[in-house]
Amino acid sequence: MGRVYECRRRLVALVLLVASAAAVAADYPLIGSSAPDFALRAFTGYNVRLSEHRGEVVVLAFWSSACSTCGSELAAINRSYSTYRTAGLAVFGISVEDSRRHAREFARVHRVGFQMLDDPAEEVSRLFDVDSLPMVVLIDRNGTIRDMHHDFGSQDEARYRAELRRLLDE
Amino acid sequence: MKLSTFRALLIGASILCGALPARAAPTAPAAAPPAATAPSTEAAPSTAAAPPSPAAAPSSEAASPATVPSAPATAPAGQAPGAAPQVPSAADTRALDEEAQSLKKDVVDLNRDLYVLEEELLYPANTQVAVFVSMDVGSFFGLDSVELKIDRKEVANYLYTPREVDALMKGGVQKIYIGNLKTGSHELVAFFTGKGPNDRDYKRGASIKFDKSIGAHYLELKINDRQHRLQPEFEIKDWGE
Repeated sequence: MGRVYECRRRLVALVLLVASAAAVAADYPLIGSSAPDFALRAFTGYNVRLSEHRGEVVVLAFWSSACSTCGSELAAINRSYSTYRTAGLAVFGISVEDSRRHAREFARVHRVGFQMLDDPAEEVSRLFDVDSLPMVVLIDRNGTIRDMHHDFGSQDEARYRAELRRLLDE
Repeated sequence: MKLSTFRALLIGASILCGALPARAAPTAPAAAPPAATAPSTEAAPSTAAAPPSPAAAPSSEAASPATVPSAPATAPAGQAPGAAPQVPSAADTRALDEEAQSLKKDVVDLNRDLYVLEEELLYPANTQVAVFVSMDVGSFFGLDSVELKIDRKEVANYLYTPREVDALMKGGVQKIYIGNLKTGSHELVAFFTGKGPNDRDYKRGASIKFDKSIGAHYLELKINDRQHRLQPEFEIKDWGE
């Protein structure tokens, strides 16, 4: 009985620890600050400057071909983008990839409606403090970083949608 | 998962595993940890040494009803019951609005003065060099980027978005670089990349040697169409001081 109880206690403690770890992930130093401006070349050939999208809700999705969940995350974001693009949503996928060839191939395979940007020097990744992938940064209409997400699970698409709706309604 | 998160998880797990064997096996489900972090205002003395028991959780709940009545007590303070709320008159609102507008104008003026002061301090006129980009027509060249080198040192590298190219084609002039140079002879080299005639990748360079004397020096990178050759033309114009 005591052994079962101890096991249960350990389980509860582990759940609490995982919850606290999630809270640590939400502790992103750039939240609340103005998003740093950048200009990057898109795989389609056009250049994109973040400051030109002031007034829109901007989603920056950092990805790499080596990341296993990046593809499903980009697909989920693409679904939200096709729904809310007319409401003022701008999405940019930013490659964090050493090999440009791999990045191009990944962008070709994971066809999305938004622009995929190439960050060969990884300057933008450093600006946004990208430390693990996938990573999504949400920027509001005033250019302020409002939220950041790591990882991607089956429940996250609904969560992203809810957050995007909240930002778009502001 | 973030490295710091993983590390926190490991530390937490190691503390948990290290602490458990040392602790006596619980005999009753009174020492469950979920309320461990909840600060209790009426914590039992035993909670200081042992993990907080669920008894501490109701204590915080018990404390909350004591604080709740204080909120409605303060809300109607200063207003007699039954008295009509004071509605500001239209004149008051207008005066307040004018005052706000005046303050806003003062802030804008102050911001402008500060910008001018900053420019004067950062780039004093005797060392200032400014480079501008302009475009005339541009049907033979789709501008993508400009790289600027002064005395073989890269000072600017600018990517142009379609919106910026449109603005340049409509007559806009962009200040691509402002910096300080000592008096004497200098060389400016500019590389233009983009799409040339027949949508082919195009990269061209232009250079100029100029003498910087006392006073601000202005240079202009001009992109023109040379109609008779059906090619773009890149020119650097020295506006001097």
